[in-house]
Amino acid sequence: MPLSDAEVERYARQLLLPGWGKVPQDFVRVSRVQVVGGGPVAGPALAYLAAAGVGTILVDDAADAAAEDAAGWLWPPDRVGQPRSSVALESLRGANRFAKVRLHATGADPTAALVCASGATAREAAERARTAGIPHVVAEGDGDGGSVVVVPPGAPCFACAFRVGTGIPPPPATAAALGALAAAELLMILSGASLPMEGRRIELVRGHPQSRPTTRQPGCACGAPRVV
Amino acid sequence: MTPSGRLDIRPFACPLTWVKTRIALEGLRQGEVLEVLLADGEPLENVPRSAALEGHAVLSREPAPGGWRLLLRKGQVRHAPAPSWEA
Repeated sequence: MPLSDAEVERYARQLLLPGWGKVPQDFVRVSRVQVVGGGPVAGPALAYLAAAGVGTILVDDAADAAAEDAAGWLWPPDRVGQPRSSVALESLRGANRFAKVRLHATGADPTAALVCASGATAREAAERARTAGIPHVVAEGDGDGGSVVVVPPGAPCFACAFRVGTGIPPPPATAAALGALAAAELLMILSGASLPMEGRRIELVRGHPQSRPTTRQPGCACGAPRVV
Repeated sequence: MTPSGRLDIRPFACPLTWVKTRIALEGLRQGEVLEVLLADGEPLENVPRSAALEGHAVLSREPAPGGWRLLLRKGQVRHAPAPSWEA
């Protein structure tokens, strides 16, 4: 289905980006993105994906809103104690009438994943995405910065790019930058606007991004032929 | 010269003038010609300039009823490089 006049108007500025256009916008429109996690990294990422025109956003977060989540754009202080996923749905409802925002459920069959978590949650979500054969991006805040690991189809997996962090949560502004950066990276994969996309790890160090290609670790399962 | 496509963007303002032109060009094959009817002023300045910057050829521009008639030949499609994000 071609973009409607209303959609062209809605995405006019984005449609002007180098490499973008009707076809990339359509790729984004038909995508279903599972967003794992909530909080200060996930909030800006969710807002970005919705505004950019991702057709279906599947919010996958089991936690309740905490006081520190108020820095995550989508969770106002008066919603502390309520499920973050349902509050996020309400907050995103008005972001873009062309985007559907739903709770993730078994059988949702996402076409991509954005993981805004750290530690075991991030590793497990990334591994699920890898075994499902869908592209994914993992954003992890850590200390004064954090990292964004980009795993397009066929790239080295998150485990290959993993580095042990300090476990200290980043300040809100840094978390927001990581979330937006991760969403932008995923949009580049979904849209096909920037080819070829390769796996990479972007370190955010005191506000400065530094990107390096990821390499497959010897013996990692991601190097084996995929069984379907 | 018979255009392969025709577009009337006279009712629209920036950025929709170039957005709609760009989308129309996307639907053509390289070398095909798009006829664009556009208003004087900003569209006449920006649409040919944006087309040329993206590698399309501006074949002609001439007065037409209610504005101007522009002929663009579609150039080679170029992908943007992946953003480096390097500071």
